[in-house]
Amino acid sequence: MLIAVDQLTRTYDLGAAKVHALRGVDLKVEEGEYLAIMGPSGSGKSTLMHILGCLDTPSSGRYVLGGEEVSGLSGRELARVRNQRIGFVFQNFNLLPRIDLVANVALPLVYHGSVTKTERIRRASEALEQLGLGHRLKHRPNELSGGERQRAAIARALINQPNIVLADEPTGNLDSKTGHEIMDILDALSAEGKTVCLVTHDANVAEHARRTVYMQDGAVAREDYS
Amino acid sequence: MNLVESVGAGLRDMSSNKARAAITMVGIVLGVASVVAVLSLMQGGRAQTEAFFEELGGLRELRITNTRTNRVFMTAAERASERLTYRDAHAIRFECPSVSYVDPEISRYLTVSYKDKSFQMRVLGTTADYVFADDMPVAEGRFITDRDLDTYANVIMMGPTYRDDIFGDEDWRGKQVQVEGIPFAVVGIMEKKEFYFRGGGGERNVLEWFNRGHYIPITTMIKRFTVSDQLGGLEIAAKSVDLVPTLMEETRTVLSRRHGVEDFDIESKSEQVQQQAEQQAFFNIIFWVVAFISLFVGGVVIANIMLSSITERIREIGVQKAIGASSRDIFIEFLVEALVITSVGGAIGLALGYGVVRAMESALIMPMAFSPSILLLAFLTSVAVGIVFGIFPALRAARLDPVEALRYE
Repeated sequence: MLIAVDQLTRTYDLGAAKVHALRGVDLKVEEGEYLAIMGPSGSGKSTLMHILGCLDTPSSGRYVLGGEEVSGLSGRELARVRNQRIGFVFQNFNLLPRIDLVANVALPLVYHGSVTKTERIRRASEALEQLGLGHRLKHRPNELSGGERQRAAIARALINQPNIVLADEPTGNLDSKTGHEIMDILDALSAEGKTVCLVTHDANVAEHARRTVYMQDGAVAREDYS
Repeated sequence: MNLVESVGAGLRDMSSNKARAAITMVGIVLGVASVVAVLSLMQGGRAQTEAFFEELGGLRELRITNTRTNRVFMTAAERASERLTYRDAHAIRFECPSVSYVDPEISRYLTVSYKDKSFQMRVLGTTADYVFADDMPVAEGRFITDRDLDTYANVIMMGPTYRDDIFGDEDWRGKQVQVEGIPFAVVGIMEKKEFYFRGGGGERNVLEWFNRGHYIPITTMIKRFTVSDQLGGLEIAAKSVDLVPTLMEETRTVLSRRHGVEDFDIESKSEQVQQQAEQQAFFNIIFWVVAFISLFVGGVVIANIMLSSITERIREIGVQKAIGASSRDIFIEFLVEALVITSVGGAIGLALGYGVVRAMESALIMPMAFSPSILLLAFLTSVAVGIVFGIFPALRAARLDPVEALRYE
């Protein structure tokens, strides 16, 4: 069992009102699963994704990741988990605008520490070449197309060889052809044995996953296996 | 990320937005330049004061003078005292263990004539120690000796200024001059003494007074030209600067016993130097205030611009955290950025300050001294400003919540 979530709640305290984003989510994900989380806006899918990605902490409930209780970790330990065990892919790519692609992709290695600069550049260049961006190494993100940016973002997510890839609407800002290219890459990652978890409201995207979790009002409504 | 890389990243970041970096640095540049100028000015003033007193015989010296008292208010004991005498000088020389030399002086304006020329001139009766006491080098011939003193010799050592007036083109060697009609053998010529204060408007040699005097043995002066051996003043020197306070006490004891009353003042030159420095320090406060304000303003500008740059970069900070940056990583990144800005600004400020110092010096407005320690101190100040004013923005960046930062538009 890679991910085990038990009665997870997340409440935002906005002073006058309390917003219950998650109201008791139970979810188990096996190593190597290809999972899509679907649901309308406000169903809590993004909040769940943030907690699974250790960006946010639950108000109550347990979250065990790879046998480790994550709920009680310190900020620094959470940063280490995000750095080494999870790769993030965002809807709007989120590459840093002022540095070139190699530097962007090498950044997680910088935070990992103990990797020399030469080694970082070598590994980042290699990762970009594998995703067909060998000719773009020294370009800045704003000089690239959306598809190229998302491929660079995937290279960055994979650079520390995490076992989980979390993708939040990875094709949301792309045309359908480029979106297919990105989904092909995610499919390939799944085939290589990575655990891939998509958040989307696009049924066509969710079809790529073998298991779909539907969320409604901060809880899991139903699950489908294809 | 190691420090060298962080600094490199900071520099790259700065060069990517040159206008902003320049505005950010102006305050720091001006602040550091003022610090350099103030420190140079202070050091220069102090060095000049010390040089002046050194020219006057060094910091080991004490000057003893008669206390000025209105005769009407004098006590009986004060009236009975003979005041400072040549015998006091002898007593100090033999009874005070810390004394190195004693320089009693009696000066009179006397008629000095040679052939048909005649002048009223200041003649100083003194001892062989005078050359040490006032650091008076002999240019030609010799000074008065102990033997001259013992034998009440009629010998005269002449000041450089009047040499040409008296002898013209003639060689002074082997000549005699008449002092109040008494023949005196000329034994030497003093060296010219010079000191020019910079900034005081001055091409004026403030020590010219020394060049216009002539010297005869004090014993001869007492025997021939005065009614008593009362001295105008007495300069004595301690064996070392450390012994100055001890010698002060010893002298006070000896003179009080001999006079029966404390009708004299003892003043040390190091005290005068100290007083001068304190006065200077007071004037320098205004420069310090200016330097401090510019540094403070520079720091506030840096903090302000960093805070606004953090607002621009909130999303980036969120992304950095999502891919594994800890709060500490973000804190260091921003603090290093502040330090890079202040260090570069500090370096420019040093160059500017150096230019200002050189300009002021060549314009002869102020005496300035420049030293590596000034450079170091001013540079460290700029680094300190970077740390102090960088900490708050860096903490704010580090504490951003990753989810909120990622959502920020």
